[in-house]
Amino acid sequence: MKNLTIRNLSKTYFDPYAGTNVTAVHDVSLNVGQGEFVCIVGPSGCGKTTILNMIAGFIPHTGGEILVGGRPVKGPGPDRGVVFQSFALFPWRTVLENVAFGPKMRGVRKAEREKIAHEYLALAKLTEAAGRYPAELSGGMQQRVGVVRALANEPDVLLMDEPFASVDAQTRMTLQEELTRIWQEKRPTVIFITHDVAEAVFLANRVIALSKGRVLEEIDVDLPRPRSWDSLNDDARFKELSGRVRQLVRSA
Amino acid sequence: MLHRLSSALWFCAPFIVLLVLWAVFIPYFDVNPRLFPHLSSVVQAGIEGIQDGTLIQHIKASLLRVAVGTVLALIIAVPLGVAMGVSPIVSSFLTPLFRFFSVLAGIAWIPIATLWFGYGFGAITFVIFNAVFFIVTYNTLLGVSTIPLHVRNAAASLGAGRWAMLTEVLLPGALPNIVTGIRTGLGFAWRGLIAAEMIATNVGLGYMLFVARDFYRTEVIVLGMIVIGVLWLLLDRLVLAPIERATIERWGMVQRA
Ligand SMILES: Nc1ncnc2c1ncn2[C@@H]1O[C@H](COP(=O)(O)OP(=O)(O)OP(=O)(O)O)[C@@H](O)[C@H]1O
Ligand SMILES: [Mg+2]
Repeated sequence: MKNLTIRNLSKTYFDPYAGTNVTAVHDVSLNVGQGEFVCIVGPSGCGKTTILNMIAGFIPHTGGEILVGGRPVKGPGPDRGVVFQSFALFPWRTVLENVAFGPKMRGVRKAEREKIAHEYLALAKLTEAAGRYPAELSGGMQQRVGVVRALANEPDVLLMDEPFASVDAQTRMTLQEELTRIWQEKRPTVIFITHDVAEAVFLANRVIALSKGRVLEEIDVDLPRPRSWDSLNDDARFKELSGRVRQLVRSA
Repeated sequence: MLHRLSSALWFCAPFIVLLVLWAVFIPYFDVNPRLFPHLSSVVQAGIEGIQDGTLIQHIKASLLRVAVGTVLALIIAVPLGVAMGVSPIVSSFLTPLFRFFSVLAGIAWIPIATLWFGYGFGAITFVIFNAVFFIVTYNTLLGVSTIPLHVRNAAASLGAGRWAMLTEVLLPGALPNIVTGIRTGLGFAWRGLIAAEMIATNVGLGYMLFVARDFYRTEVIVLGMIVIGVLWLLLDRLVLAPIERATIERWGMVQRA
């Protein structure tokens, strides 16, 4: 039972400068089954981060409900792993210790949790970096650590907020390909947020187009896996799907 | 290794020059030893002080006061700073207060300390305590409140409870600031110590200086000044600076003070 259900979710912020209420998310409903990879795509300011932060439990929602495995979300918890745009690694911990952090919180013994961490680091080709500190890594490597740190805790749902937005285009493509590979191997339930339409279509089983805090449409992505940019760049179906999503997001 | 050796030499070079000038010019101009001592008589005073144990006794007394005052201050300041830093309201309310006392810390507390604790160990330790306490509390608070929210969120969503948040995130996150606070605080404390010992006790380096004046023993005064300076440099360069470097540089955490 690792599915995520969102019913009539909404969020109203109070803007203290304008002295008014701003509704960032309107009546959003969404079902994500176990092992699904869902991308939420939409222009800047449409409420993507707000939705993700509510699912993560970082901010309270003002309407509707969020259920993970049938249980309502009340705050942050290890059932929902988060990958941040700014990586949010612990600078005072080595790469290995960062990845072992979740298991450590669960009370897993040192030898065992380091074994787990090594296994996940190998998955992201980070074995060499295990003993280094985050500040000694490139941005792309730091985000690989961010991804496996969340995965190593085996969350029910993995939440990712524009995780690849701050790395260069070349690295971003590599990271996207690696993510689809890791997803196929581990099959976590993923909600991935982005404003990059091609990224959304490349990664997802299903793309949710969002605009001004409302869901516009859900589009199923039936592209075969494993996916790689080499094969999809000129793929007709990929172009067609991306075109449709792009139009949706733009017209709104 | 070679690099460190040469930088240590470079650090000592100006002192060596100063010593040479001293050894040459004070005898050359035949300066009255009641105004300024010869280098040789200071060395002599140092050897005597070590042989009869008085110098060691003064150093021990001073270091013990610093150690006790500092440890007491840290035991209270760090948890308090963390508690204050966690809450934005508490921290913004108390920040001006702690800033004020940070600046005041040290010598200014001596008169009231002697009124409260009488002359001796209590008053002097209190002065040290204050010098370290306010600055370290303030820096800890600052350190905790500058830990990015994402990092705290990341820990929470990896399953960190209250205690783990404290030990795994807030304390290490504030550590560079805490170390900086200790370094500045101890600097104030050391100066406050010497001043307090001149007034409020009968043992310690400050007392040693002050009493020597009554007997025109300039060689003891200068010896005391040298010991005070050298002890501080050793403490700062061999203990505090390396800790600061190890945390801030390795972790890539830039100071945001
Ligand atoms: N703490 C807040 N207080 C008031 N308004 C907020 C707050 N956070 C977000 N908003 C508003 O809510 C709306 C949605 O913001 P959100 O950050 O969710 O957008 P986003 O889709 O993630 O945008 P981006 O792609 O730029 O990250 C925006 O209009 C924003 O100004
Ligand atoms: Mg956002």
